[in-house]
Amino acid sequence: MEAMENDLQTAEQNKSSRRAAILMGGAALAGLALARKAEAQYQGAALDLAVLNFALNLEYLEAQFYTLATQGKTIDQAGVTITGNNGATGGIAVTPGTVTTKNSNNYASCLVPFTTPLLQEYAMETAQEERNHVTFLQTAITNANSVAMPAIDLFNSFNTLAVAAGLGSSFDPFASETNFLLGAFIFEDVGVTAYHGAAGLLSNKTYLDKAAGIMAVEAYHAGSTRSRIYGLGASAQMASQAIATLRAAADGTKNDDVGVGTDATGAATVADVDSNALAFARTTEQVRAIVYATGLPQLPPGVTDPTKAVKNGANSGGFFPAGLNGPIF
Amino acid sequence: MEKLNQLLKDGVSRRTFLAGAGLSAGTAAVATLAAGCGGGSTVTATPGPTSAPTGITDVDILNFALNLEYLEAEFYQRAVYGSGLSSADIGTSPGAVTGGAQVSFSTPALAALAKEIANDELAHVRFLRKALGSAAVDRPAIDFTDAFAALGAAADAGTPGPLIPIPSPFNPFLGEAIFLVGAFTFEDVGVTAYHGAAPLLTNSGNLAAAAGILATEGYHAAILRTALVYLGDPYLSYANDISKVRAAASTTATAGSGAEVAVSGSTIVPADINSIAFDRTTDQVMRIVYLTPPPSPSVPVAKGGFFPNGLNGKITATTT
Repeated sequence: MEAMENDLQTAEQNKSSRRAAILMGGAALAGLALARKAEAQYQGAALDLAVLNFALNLEYLEAQFYTLATQGKTIDQAGVTITGNNGATGGIAVTPGTVTTKNSNNYASCLVPFTTPLLQEYAMETAQEERNHVTFLQTAITNANSVAMPAIDLFNSFNTLAVAAGLGSSFDPFASETNFLLGAFIFEDVGVTAYHGAAGLLSNKTYLDKAAGIMAVEAYHAGSTRSRIYGLGASAQMASQAIATLRAAADGTKNDDVGVGTDATGAATVADVDSNALAFARTTEQVRAIVYATGLPQLPPGVTDPTKAVKNGANSGGFFPAGLNGPIF
Repeated sequence: MEKLNQLLKDGVSRRTFLAGAGLSAGTAAVATLAAGCGGGSTVTATPGPTSAPTGITDVDILNFALNLEYLEAEFYQRAVYGSGLSSADIGTSPGAVTGGAQVSFSTPALAALAKEIANDELAHVRFLRKALGSAAVDRPAIDFTDAFAALGAAADAGTPGPLIPIPSPFNPFLGEAIFLVGAFTFEDVGVTAYHGAAPLLTNSGNLAAAAGILATEGYHAAILRTALVYLGDPYLSYANDISKVRAAASTTATAGSGAEVAVSGSTIVPADINSIAFDRTTDQVMRIVYLTPPPSPSVPVAKGGFFPNGLNGKITATTT
C-alpha cells in the first residue's frame, strides 16, 4: 500500500507538467475542430439520433457494471433488452456484443462482497437507475433505431487504466467496497461531462430536457460516490485523484478533472467542477478517448493547424473493445 | 450576454485556479452547437416545459437563477464563514439579510464539505453576475430567521404529521447536523429549477452554463442526501418532513409526486420512473421559496418566506 501511495504521489507531481504538454500541443483546439466536424456531418434529427445512441452506449456500460456488481448478472440476464432495433432509418447494429469479466466470464464472481448495508443499497439503486436509462433511451430513440449493446470489457480495461494511473498492475473493481466505489468513480463524472457536452448538440427541446434530467441523475450518482470516497480517507482519495488526472490527460483538454480530496483552502473537492463551480463538458470525441483508454488526436510537433491532428488511438479499446455502436462522430 | 462564452472559456480548473496558474483559456462547455428547431422526434415520457412564456428572455431566466444563488450563497457563507456576501457581489441597492450565523462544526469532513459548497455557491453568484453584466439584479431581501421557523412549523403541521417533529423554532445554524437539514432545503430545489429552466434558454452558451450549474447542484444535493442517510434520525426524518413541504408546494409537478422522493439509503437520487431528475416551473420554485403552497382556488403570490419582498427581476410572481 505504501508503494502504491508513493506511485500516486509521483503521479500527482507529474500532473501539471503533463497537462502543460498537452496544452502546448493544441489538442484543445483539435477538440473544437472535431466538434465542428460533427456539426457538418450530422444535423437536426440525424444528429439527435446519433447523440442519443452515443449516450445509450455509455448507459449499457454503466448498467452492466452496476448490475454485475450488485447481482452477479448481466443486464440481459436481469431482463433488460440489449439487442438493437433496425427501425425506419436502418443501418443500426442489432446483434449485441459480449461482456468480458474476470474468471472467464463467471459473472457471479463479479458480485461485490458488500459489508456496508447503506453502500449496498445505494449500489442497487444506481444499478436500477442505469438500467432504467438504457430502457428509456431505447424507447425514446426516434423510429426505433436504437443500437445494440456493444462488446464491453470490464476486466482488461480496468487493468489497463490501473497501470496508466499508476495504481498497480491490475485493478478489480468488484473485489471490495472501496474498489467498487473507485470503479464507479471512473464512470459517473464522465457521464456528467458527456451529457453536458451532448446537451448543446440536441436540437429537439424535449430530448434536451430529458438529457438534462439524466445528466442531473448522473451528477447525483457522482456526488454520492465521491462523498463516500471522501469518507474513506486519504488512500482512496489519492486513487481517485490519479484516475481524475488520467481522465484529464486522456481527453486532451485542460479541463482538468478534479479527484476527491481537500483543497488548499480546506474545502472538499467532491463536486467535479471548474473555478466558476460549473461542471465540465466533454465532446463525444473526448469521451471516447477516455472510454477507449486511448487519447485525443494530437498535433505533430511544430504543427498548429488543428485539421492536421493525428489520432494516436484506435476507434476501439478500453471498455469498448469493438468500439461503440451507431453513427461515429 | 456575449461575455458569457468568454467566461465559460475562462472557467479553468479549481486546482489550477488555486495554484494561481490559470492563464490559458480552457474549452469547457464551449464546444457545443447552437440549438436549432425541433426534429419531429417522439418521446414516450411526459415532456417537460420546452418554451419560455412570451416576453421572457434568457436574461430574465438567468436573473431568476441569480436570486436563488444569492439565497444559497448567503446561507452557506453565513454558516461557514460567519458573514454574508461582500458588497462587491450584491449590487448597488441590495436588500437586507436577516438571520444566519456561523455554525460550529466538530466533524472536519462536514466542515470541509460545507466550505466546498459555500465556495461553489459564491462562484455561481459571481459567474451569473459577470455573465449578466449591467443586467444583473441586485440581491433581494432575504430572511432566514422567520423563514426557517415557518418552514419547520409547516413541516410539523403537515398531513399526516411529521415523521419526527423538528424542534421549534427550526434554526439550521445551531449545529452541524441541523445545518445539513437546512442546506437540504435548497439543493434539490436548485436541481429542479435549473432543469426546468434549461430547455427555455435560447442561447447555446447560456444553455451550457445552466447545464453546468445544474450538474453542480446535483453534486451538492447528493453530498447532502448521502450525509443525511449516514447521519440517520432524527435529522433524516427532519429532511423528509421538509421534502413533504416542498412537494406540497409543487403539486402539479411531474410524476404526481410533487417532484420529490424521500431520502433513504436506497433513494439517494430523487427522480421519476425513468430515473430522470424532476423539473420545476418558476411558479413551483417560487411557491417553495416563498413558503406559500397553492391554496384552492389558487391566487398568485409575489413574496414571502425566504424572500420577504419577493425576487428581483422580471420573474417575481407566480402566474396562478
